[in-house]
Amino acid sequence: MRQPLAQRLWHWQHKGTPYLFVLPFFLIFCTFMLYPLLKSVYLAFTCTNGPRSIVWVGWDNFNYLCRDRNFWIAVRNTLVYAAASIVLQLPCSMGLALLLHRQWLRGRTLLRFAFFAPYLCGQVFVAVLFSVLFVPRFGLINRLLQLVSGHGLELRWLGEPSLVMPALIIVTLWLYTGFNMIYFLAALQNVDQGLYEAADIDGANAWQKFRHVTMPGIKPIVVFVVVMSTIGSFQLFELPFVLLNNGSGVNQAGLTIVMYLYQTGFETGNLGYAAAIGWVLVLLIMSISALQLRLGRSQP
Amino acid sequence: MNVRARLQAWLPAVPFGPAPMLLLLLAAGTGILLLLFPVRRSLASLDFWIFAINHRDAYQRAIADFEAARPGVRVACLLVDQTAVSRRLQAAFMSGTHVPDMVEVLAADTGLFFRGPLDDIGFLDLTERLKQTGLYDRMVTARFSVCSSRGRIFGIPHDVHPVMLAYRRDIFEQEGIDPATIVTWDDFVRVGRRLTKDIDGDGVIDRYMLEAEDTSATHFEMLLLQAGGGYFDAAGTLIMDNAVAQQALCAFARMVAGPGRIAGNLGGGQILTQAMQNDYFVCLLCPDWRTKVLEQDIPNMRGKLALMPLPAWTAGGRRTSTSGGTMLGITRPCRNLPLAMDFAQHLYFNANELALRFRTTNIIPPVKDSWTQAVFDEPRPFWSDQPIGRLYCTLAGDVPPVYVTPFMSMARARMGEAVIEATRQYAAHGEQELAAFVGAVLARKADDVRRQMARNPYR
Repeated sequence: MRQPLAQRLWHWQHKGTPYLFVLPFFLIFCTFMLYPLLKSVYLAFTCTNGPRSIVWVGWDNFNYLCRDRNFWIAVRNTLVYAAASIVLQLPCSMGLALLLHRQWLRGRTLLRFAFFAPYLCGQVFVAVLFSVLFVPRFGLINRLLQLVSGHGLELRWLGEPSLVMPALIIVTLWLYTGFNMIYFLAALQNVDQGLYEAADIDGANAWQKFRHVTMPGIKPIVVFVVVMSTIGSFQLFELPFVLLNNGSGVNQAGLTIVMYLYQTGFETGNLGYAAAIGWVLVLLIMSISALQLRLGRSQP
Repeated sequence: MNVRARLQAWLPAVPFGPAPMLLLLLAAGTGILLLLFPVRRSLASLDFWIFAINHRDAYQRAIADFEAARPGVRVACLLVDQTAVSRRLQAAFMSGTHVPDMVEVLAADTGLFFRGPLDDIGFLDLTERLKQTGLYDRMVTARFSVCSSRGRIFGIPHDVHPVMLAYRRDIFEQEGIDPATIVTWDDFVRVGRRLTKDIDGDGVIDRYMLEAEDTSATHFEMLLLQAGGGYFDAAGTLIMDNAVAQQALCAFARMVAGPGRIAGNLGGGQILTQAMQNDYFVCLLCPDWRTKVLEQDIPNMRGKLALMPLPAWTAGGRRTSTSGGTMLGITRPCRNLPLAMDFAQHLYFNANELALRFRTTNIIPPVKDSWTQAVFDEPRPFWSDQPIGRLYCTLAGDVPPVYVTPFMSMARARMGEAVIEATRQYAAHGEQELAAFVGAVLARKADDVRRQMARNPYR
């Protein structure tokens, strides 16, 4: 006997509804992510000037990448920046978090907001702001340094190759220290207070408590922040792009991998080579993130 | 069974209630509507993108006149950020999506659009049209270099941008210097060594003879072009390491580095304003467009600045250069080519329009027969009552060509690095083997560009 219509519909929907709900995301993902990703793999093996003129060059783009001095300058700069982000920024964030976690500190909420606030400005605005602060003779930073040193000083923060990266790192410190502090604060609030009491009873000092109670308690968040900061550092683009006036700075001192990708793809129009750079960047980020996660999981 | 009863029978069968079904129906409905009635493209007869805000202000009246003379015609002029113009246009040309009918592109970016085979270039080839109509001969032909690739012309130059030297007339007078005696760069350096000073004795120079950057090719490029050099020749061959470039770079290094330096740099915008007010620079390299920027940014310098031709590299040599520029291109998918050409002529060749526009922008048009107009002889109080239009027009015919290729930005970047290395070498070792060092650096940088050029299959 034939089932009633409502029952048949229910049966069909019971089977098909999950796919129907996934369908919009799937279509968007395929159109805007999967297809461009696959296309970029193909592009990486071509020299192209748009869909009408594509020349297959095989591994030539990757071969050239290995010999491309500018690419290696970009890799070096990015690695230096990423290392500085982790070595300088994360301890600062952690220190601030530990300080602002103290119950006795007055105005904690206000201070937390104050340290977090630069992040709300966004990279472009901060870059514009610092490009004025870093001006050689009349900029606020040099004026402050002149005041402190007591004699004429003309540091060309964005005009001296050796100062470009420190300038970028200073801006990043100001921008992201407060942001990462929020993660650490959240992690610190989740550490079991009973463990501190037990450590007190055992006579542990402040360092021992930090080393053996706090750090293991917040380790997953530390690993997460390290991985995210590393990925963010490898994707660095807007900040140097605006700060260095749409360029890569003197002697390419501010050239990052993404910036080189952009220059190659959109300023030179070599989309195939830019795609190759993009895929090498993906591999680089994946390897470093995997290494960090592995190190994070390993027991001391 | 009536509709209501049918619905009542269906609705319980919808597993997540009627809301998702309603959403699905809405999505399907709107999709069908969009398919049946797609969004209409611009209603204007011509879509025209520009990137310079002063161009937009200057074009408003011209567009109104053009539309008034042609009932039913409407020109939609859209101001788009300069970087966005290039990137969006480049992407649109490649993907075949909507592009405007006409567009102004920064001269520094034109090379980008000339990358592929000639047939794939997104702009219309105007060579025959310009030559047959005589428009080509009416213009400063050197300026077509920024609009051309492989001998074909893909745009109309908006400007000439001759370069003069803006100098502090008051300081020159105080120091008893007659600008007419500065004929060559050697003369200029001699005077510059007198005027460049550490006034307060703190070990830092407080006044430089010239604003010039030692960390990029921005200012050096003007001197290089003046000397007859450049990045590429008319055939698109890289020439950035030829003998002219070597000599110019050696001379430039002597100006911006070492104990006898006469040039410094701080950056543009507000900082330059402050620097000028503090007498930090005596002279500035000044393309015509920069005179307007200075008038607007440092109005209190009114009457203190004046213009003189650039000192020549050798006595009797070229007294100007060029910097910047804009190209007007008509895109291949242009909907109405005759109207677009008509509009281009109205904007770029109408003598009255050009005269009025000069008053607004201080930009000398490349149309030679327009230079006879009285507007160019008007004295300007800001510039010590000099007729700056006439001064620039006198030099405009002598501007050097700037040949472009898709590798222009790369060549510029490498030249910037060469400038840094040369100036550092000079600061550290003086004249000792400077020429050999500069030659080697330029050759190395040029080889870097040549390697990239060699990988371009569309030569």
